[in-house]
Order: sequence, then C-alpha cells, then structure tokens
Amino acid sequence: MSEMTFSERPMRLKNWFGIEAAGTGNREPLARAVIALLVVITAGSMFAGLAIGPISIPVLDVLPHLPAHLFSSREGAPAGVSLRDWIVIKDIRLPRVVLGALVGAALAVSGAVMQGLFRNPLADPGIVGVSAGAGLGAALFIVLGGSALAPVAAVLGYYAVPLAAFVGGLITTLLLYRIGTRGGITSVATLLLAGIALGALTGATTGLLVYVADDQELRDLQFWGLGSLAGSNWEKVTSAAPIILVMLFAVPFLARGLNGLTLGEAAATHIGIRVQRLKNISILMVAAATGASVAVSGGIGFVGIVVPHLLRLTIGPDHRYLLPAAALLGASLLIAADTLSRTIVAPAELPIGIITAFAGAPFFLWILLRRRGLMGL
Amino acid sequence: MLQHMTFSSDASVCELHVNRVTVQMGKTTIVSNLSFDAKAGEFLAIIGPSGSGKTTLLRAMTGELVCSGDVFLAGQDVRGLSPEIQAEMRGVLPQASQISFPLNVAEVIGLGLIDRRHNKNARTRRLAEALSKVGLSGFEGRNYQDLSGGEQQRVQLARVLCQVWEPVPIDGPPRWLFLDEPVSSLDIKHQYQIMQLAAEYAARGGGVVAVMHDLNLTLTFADKVLVMQKGQRLAFGATEEVMRSDLLSKAYDFPLSLTRCAVAGAPIVVPFNGR
Amino acid sequence: MRTLFHSRFYSLTAACALTAAALLAPSKSLLAEGTLAQSAHRIVAVGGSVTEIVFALGEEDRLVARDTTSNHPASAAKLPDVGYIRALSPEGVMSVDPDLILMLEGSGPVETVDVLKKSGVAIADIPEEFTDQGILNKVLAVGEALGVPEKAEKLAEKLKVDLETAQSEADMSSSDLRVLFILTARDGRILASGSETAASGIIALAGARNAVDDFSGYKQLSDEAVLSAAPDVVLMMQRGENHNVHPEEVFDHPALAQTPAGQNKRVIVMGGQYLLGFGPRTADAIRELSDQLSDIRS
Repeated sequence: MSEMTFSERPMRLKNWFGIEAAGTGNREPLARAVIALLVVITAGSMFAGLAIGPISIPVLDVLPHLPAHLFSSREGAPAGVSLRDWIVIKDIRLPRVVLGALVGAALAVSGAVMQGLFRNPLADPGIVGVSAGAGLGAALFIVLGGSALAPVAAVLGYYAVPLAAFVGGLITTLLLYRIGTRGGITSVATLLLAGIALGALTGATTGLLVYVADDQELRDLQFWGLGSLAGSNWEKVTSAAPIILVMLFAVPFLARGLNGLTLGEAAATHIGIRVQRLKNISILMVAAATGASVAVSGGIGFVGIVVPHLLRLTIGPDHRYLLPAAALLGASLLIAADTLSRTIVAPAELPIGIITAFAGAPFFLWILLRRRGLMGL
Repeated sequence: MLQHMTFSSDASVCELHVNRVTVQMGKTTIVSNLSFDAKAGEFLAIIGPSGSGKTTLLRAMTGELVCSGDVFLAGQDVRGLSPEIQAEMRGVLPQASQISFPLNVAEVIGLGLIDRRHNKNARTRRLAEALSKVGLSGFEGRNYQDLSGGEQQRVQLARVLCQVWEPVPIDGPPRWLFLDEPVSSLDIKHQYQIMQLAAEYAARGGGVVAVMHDLNLTLTFADKVLVMQKGQRLAFGATEEVMRSDLLSKAYDFPLSLTRCAVAGAPIVVPFNGR
Repeated sequence: MRTLFHSRFYSLTAACALTAAALLAPSKSLLAEGTLAQSAHRIVAVGGSVTEIVFALGEEDRLVARDTTSNHPASAAKLPDVGYIRALSPEGVMSVDPDLILMLEGSGPVETVDVLKKSGVAIADIPEEFTDQGILNKVLAVGEALGVPEKAEKLAEKLKVDLETAQSEADMSSSDLRVLFILTARDGRILASGSETAASGIIALAGARNAVDDFSGYKQLSDEAVLSAAPDVVLMMQRGENHNVHPEEVFDHPALAQTPAGQNKRVIVMGGQYLLGFGPRTADAIRELSDQLSDIRS
C-alpha cells in the first residue's frame, strides 16, 4: 500500500535493472544501458515502420536492394521486386520513417533543451507557442510565397518554408524568453499565459491569412492544424534533415551547461558556465529544430513534454544522457505513432497529431497534478 | 593557464581587493562606496543587521551584480575574467539553492567537479570525501529535492568544496570561498562542523569570505570582520578589535555586550540587559 | 540563337514522334489506350460525382474502393474508403491494388498523387466545372477512362436533355430570388459561398441569383455583408441522416434575422453531395431546388 514518491521510482527501477551498486548515486551505467536499449528499440521501430502497412510486402526481400538504389536516379524497381512493393518501401514508407525519426528526435530534444533552459519540466515548444509561431511563419510563406515573397521563395526553393518556420519559431522563443524571464528567473505561470496569448495571436494571424488565401493555399494551411507525416517524401526529408541533424549533433555540447543551469543562472556562472552563450545557442537550436519539424509535419504535440519527462523518471535529469536518450525515444515513439496512424483506419489514415494528443494530453495533466504544489500555479 | 602567466610572488595575488564599490538597484543604493582588503589564509566574516547590504556586497564581489568601483581577486579585475577562469579561482555558496530537476546528491556535487584532469575514480573519491566533510556520507544516491533545507545547504557546500578543493593549488594563486550565510539553516552541531571546515580552509592558505548572522560563531571562527550598516562600512579589522560591545550595539541598534562564557571560557555576545 | 532554338525544337519534336511511334507500334492503333482502360477492373473512384457516374454507367462492378465523399448510392458506401478526397493516403490507395484511379479535379495531396503516378497505376484526371456542360464533360471523361465512350455519350445525351428541361423549368419559375448558401453557421460566424463555387453554380442553374458574388470561394461574412447581401432565402446542406438543421437556429444570427430570408424564416436544406456534387443527380437537384424556390416566391 506504500505509495511511491516521484523520486523513489527511478531508484526502484535501478534496483530492478540490477545495474547500480547500491548507494553510489551513479546513474550513468543505468543511463547507458537505457540508451543501448533505446538504440535497439529505435532500430526495431524503424523496421516495423517499414514492414507494417496496409499493403503486405515481403520487406526482407526489398531491404537489401535499398542501399544500392537509394541515391541512384534510376527509375523502376530492382530485379526481383515488384514496382508496387518498391515504390511503397522506397517512396512511401522509408521517407516517412526517416522523417518520423528526425521529427520525433527534434521535438523530444527541443522539449528537453527548452525545459533545461527555462528550468521547468512543463516548458515545451508546443505548449508555450513556439510551434504556433513556427506554423505562422510557414503559413505566411505559403500564402505570400506566391506573391509578395516570390523572389525569396525562388532563391530558397525547398528550404523556404522550413526557414520561414524557423524564423517564426525564433521570434516566438525570443519573445517568450523576454516576457517570461525576469532577473534570471522564469515564471511558469507567465510563460504559460504568454503561450496562450501568443497562440491567440498566431491563430488570429492565421485566420487573416485564411481570408486572403486561395483554395490550394487553404488546403496547405489546413495541414498545420492537425500535424501529419502523410505527405512525407524525399524532398521534405532533404529540406528538414540538415537543420535537424545539425541540432542533434550540436546539442550534446550544451549538456554540461544545461546541467549547471539546474542550479540557477548565477550558480551556473559560478561553476564556469557561460550562461548567456548557452541560452543563445539553446534558443537558436530549439527554434531551428521546431521550425524544421513544423514545416514538414505540422504541429505534432506533446512529444516534447512526454519523452523527456519519462526519461527523467528512468535515468535521471543528467542532460548528457537525457538528450541522446530523448532523441532516440522521440524518434521511436513518433515512428510507432505514425505506423498506428497509417494502419488503424486503413486504407484511409488518421493524422498523427490526433494520436499524440490523445496519448500526450492526459499525460500532461498527470504531470500538472503531481507538480501542482511545486509550481506555485 | 591564465593563473600561470600572472602568478608571481607579488603580494597582491593573495588578496581580495575591494575599492569604492557601489551597487544600485533602481534608484536605491544598496552598497555605497565600500572598500576593504582581505588576504588568503584568513577567514573574513561580513556582519551587520538585515538589509545592511551584506549579501549584495558578496554578489557584487562574485560578479553576479553590476557594481561601480573595483573588485580585484589575485591581482585581476574579476569583471575581465571569463566564468571558466573565475570558477577555478573561487567557489560561491548561494543563500538558498533550489534546483529545477530531481538530481541526486552525487549529481549535484558532480556539478562542482569541474577539473577535467580528474579521472572517474578520482572524482568518485573526492565526492565521497566532500560528503564526509559535511557529514553526509552515504547520501550519494539520495534525491536532492527530498532532503531537508539543512542537508541541501551542506550538499551545496560539498559541491563548492569540490570545485575549489585545494586552497592553494600548485600552479595558481590561493583560492577563495564566498559563502552566503553558510550555516543559516543548520542545527548547532552542523553549524560548528561547517564553520570548522571553513576555518580549516583558511588555515590551509585559502581565502574565506562569509556573510554571517550568528555573532558567536563569528567570534569563534573569524579572523577578520567587516561590519556593515546601511550599505556602508561601519568597521573593519581583526575580530577582537571589531567585536566590541559599543560597536556591535551601534551596528545592530540594540544593546549587546561581550562577556566570557562561564563554562568554556570563550567570548560570547549576549543582549545587554541594562544593569 | 534562333537557329539553335529551332534545331532544338525540331529534334525534340522528332524525338517525341519517334517515342510515340515506338509506343503505338506494338498495339497497332490509338485504340490501345481504350483497350487498356476497358480491361481495368480494379478501379478506385475519388470524388462523389465520379463514383455516381460510374454507377450510372453500370460499371460499378469494376470499383474496388472509393473516397470518403463517395457515399451515394448506398452500395458505394460499402466499398473500402481510402480517405478524404484531399487527404488520400498513398499506401492506402495502393493497398486495394488498383489498376486505374479516377481522380476528380482537386484530389490530393499532391505528394500522394506524385507517388501514385510513380507507381505506374493509371490515373485519369476528371475535370470539374460547376456548370451543366461541366457535368457532361465529367461523364465523357469517366466514360473514356473506363473504355465505355458509347455508354458515356448516351448517358451524357440523356443528362443533357434532363438538365435542359430542369433549367428551362427553373428559369420560368424562380428567377431573381437572392439565395445565400451557408456552409456553416457555427458560433454566429457565417461561412458563405461566393462565385466560382459549386453552390454558386447550382443556384445559377436553378434560375436564382447568388446573394454574394463579390468574392470567390468560401468566406466568412460580416454582419453588414449579410445585411447587404439581403438574401430572400438561405440554402444549407443536410448534415447526416437524422440531423436536420432547424431554421430557428440559423436565424438566431442577429444580422441574418433582419434579412428577407430571416424575417420570413425561409431556409432550404438539401443533401450536400446531391446539391453540390455536379453529377448524374444534378438535374433532380435543380428541379427540387427550383420547386422549393418557386414555392417561396408564390
């Protein structure tokens, strides 16, 4: 009947894993084991994402041909594979799995970095309005890209919409930081309220765009509301991958700084962390990755809050392990959710945003309930 | 590296030099035109009534607050030093330390192990030593946020100690500890234990600057005392010179008297009852 | 420059001709495409009117799937649903193993269409235009894609007569009424149809006038725009089987209540696909709409 507290849980799990020598407080072996497990899970979910779908395909027969043919411009299926199976694997499922992995990793890591930066486990690009800002940037470009911004669109090509989303996300994040932080202390209440206000503002602006948009633009706009990986193709992968990969590889260098920031900004400075630089880079990274994700998949919510939280319960809040683990868990969760979205109402499909919201929103409420006393909300 | 270049036998490298420091918040002047010098190897206590600007002065000295005037540590203007260099020269214990995520004790202290030359074993050893110094041996795996206020304060001190472990490193000037009310939420046993620790640090050649509320602990452990009143320096000097009935009564605007403890024979401060 | 252009142009033309010849040679004639289409027996119909036309042509046995908007006739609704016309899932479509996809103009998203084209499935684009001729073009296009052009011509002929009759009847009875088509009226926000919409098309065919024609597509109307539109009657879509719109609810809107339609509580509710589909049932829809309009007039 004894109720476990928040903090006992990881302890108990540790003993269960039998990894940690009692009492040393060293969670690193556990974290490494979990990351190794997550690597396996991510690989497994990627394989499942390739193997499962409305069409049953002997995926093991197709996979060996992929490396050789992926980057060749040759049309048509390799010998021994039907064109349909080839197209389904190479042009439908694979870009979708890759994009799902990138977006999932980007969202989860952005969430973790933002939480570290704001020193609060409820900060999430989706909840505080960064995604909305990125979506607005993308929407502006979709509607104005054909007219007012046409020269920019011509120069940037595929990267135009992700970049517009990035700029939208960046402006929103900077605004949030300015509004929510006073004297180095971030007020959650202010942050969430600012998020609501920004959400309303972006909603209104998007509404304005709807009015001037034509039919085709409207359809593209509608896409931001729900969030989906349905339109995945290699063009989207190549437009989002550079931004997201740069972020994923840069973010481990922020880990020590984010750990230090747990103590507060002043104490972090005292242990030798350049806090202002850390904040600048973090904000840039979060905005870039969120922007790129929103640009290719719309607003997929709650990954950024659920994944880091689950991992903190398991391996602790050390960012050196939390960030890579979040990337892996985010990737595998999103691939799994997307596989579900493709198959649950087959041959039609459900937008993935619906699935993540159904899973994530109750979880968010649960965190709120548990932390109600601590946050002074 | 920087210490290497500038470290010399010059006496100023052993000093904390505070010259005409003024801190303003909005239009209010919190610390006004305050100067003093302290030496490594001494325990300096800053005392004074609440609101006299003690903590603000400490935060100005550690570069946390913007101030006018000069703060030189080991012969160098602290405002010109990077956080990395400053972190190697001095540790800072803040008054209250809320952390934002459920780190365990080992992880919190690990944040102070900034010397990357140490391998894993050395780190583990130092961590255990630091914990035993603050009387928390075996607390490594405990969740920091579940500890009592006093235990949290000692964990933070262990973290700061790890950061500036050797008071006098082989390749640099003496190091400094800046402590903001280090014993404010401790029981009497741990108050003495922690003060002993700070005094030892000074005795081994390091510099210690501590904001203190407890006058008896100050009497017992401090080598020098800076008395502040309304943001200004009221008195500064060796403990026995400064800790006088008249001066303390004036500083705190409350009748205080120095006497000798009947049991231990040590000097203590008591409220003067007027007779 | 000019010669270069010309030489390129000619070589391109030659290449095209050669390719065409090479493609046509084995199958002898232009009928090749028709033969292929006639043999298509696993067809996905995307677009409610397209599906209705396939049924009207009696070729429904060749259908294997349909989109969400294709819910008429009842047996069409029993086919597997590959998603909303504008949000088709590429693998979902491919999973029914089609050999021909009939796609109404506006089907998408474009990424799905790209992949489907790449997969080698034949795709027939069916044009959409909200006029009587648009319906006939649709029928002919579907007939050609299915390889039954004669049947399609016959159907088109019949529909043409039907439509003309319905229109001439409508012109006599209900002209000049101002009709406001309301897509949704949630939370007091009225989303109405401007020009170049299916609603605008059917209103014109029924011999009435669209009350708002100063914008194209579907837009939200301000109160003043509602007042200046001054509709004589409101036209709405029926939502679901048992969920009729109550006129009172629509006219709760303060501005709408002040219009002639609101003061006389005049609202016409018709099935969405029936009213806006521009398919085989449109002649009936015109007749029904103009009947209701003339009832209102008299």
